[in-house]
Amino acid sequence: MNDADFMRYSRQLLLEDIALEGQQKLLESRVLIVGSGGLGSPAALYLAAAGVGTLVIADDDRVHISNLQRQILFTEEHIGQPKATAAAQQLQRLNPPIRVVPLNQRLLGESLYQQASLANVVLDCSDNMTTRQAINAACVASNVPLITASAVGFSGQLMVLTPPWQQGCYHCVWQDDDEPEGNCRTAGVLGPVVGVMGTLQALEAIKLLTGMATATGALHLFDARQHSWNKIQLQKSTSCPVCGELSHANPV
Amino acid sequence: MQILFNEEPLQCPDAQRLSALLTELGKLQPGCALAVNQTIIPRPQWDQFVLHDGDAILLFQAIAGG
Repeated sequence: MNDADFMRYSRQLLLEDIALEGQQKLLESRVLIVGSGGLGSPAALYLAAAGVGTLVIADDDRVHISNLQRQILFTEEHIGQPKATAAAQQLQRLNPPIRVVPLNQRLLGESLYQQASLANVVLDCSDNMTTRQAINAACVASNVPLITASAVGFSGQLMVLTPPWQQGCYHCVWQDDDEPEGNCRTAGVLGPVVGVMGTLQALEAIKLLTGMATATGALHLFDARQHSWNKIQLQKSTSCPVCGELSHANPV
Repeated sequence: MQILFNEEPLQCPDAQRLSALLTELGKLQPGCALAVNQTIIPRPQWDQFVLHDGDAILLFQAIAGG
């Protein structure tokens, strides 16, 4: 780290849990963020600001004016641009020394598995069940920690899932590939609700990357109306086709 | 016996099984997860899972948006 780095990261270097050693780990880390919308925007901004050395941002969408109410990476001048490219530009402006890799594609199959394998942590900031199940399968197959969050209306859900998956995986909780009825496009969502969830993904990522204790093995349900949280313990499904005992017979 | 279903008290037969209860309530539908006393019960266990007096059941929908 140079003098500018010491100044830039001074407020988190002061924390005993981070300090020089933790900052070094962040600078050497690589995080894959799938989706740069309402969750991915705050998550990527905080991780870039904290000095995560390499951020890979995957999104196949373009910025639309209806995104600006909650996707705080983007401004009016980005309308029509690919989200991953626009996100990378904004993040590089915030912290030029880090490396930001935009992937203007829907990560699937082998390329998703490859990107997950290269990452120290994967953030699922996507907006559909098919992608969420694929990200989970790729993380389990490559033994990379997964921080998954979602939001719609006034509700949010967050899980930190880590190898060796003793508390199970995303598929142990959500077994259906069908899309849930409500999504942000049809049911609406408030910016700060999805912002809270994305911000917490960044927080949990920093804790994982720096070796701090994290809230693994639980599903956190956020009720924004009541401003309350419900913490549900996870339980592995022994017959889970993704992380269960028989899963090696069906490699992803 | 009495249980709590999504925070509402509910009478049900002794040793009621989870899937039987959900069928009776018309709540056995896809896209849901279920916790008993704040622990997830994976769906493949719902058929065998026996409820006890005072159990608190939470049934909730998946959210995929972001």
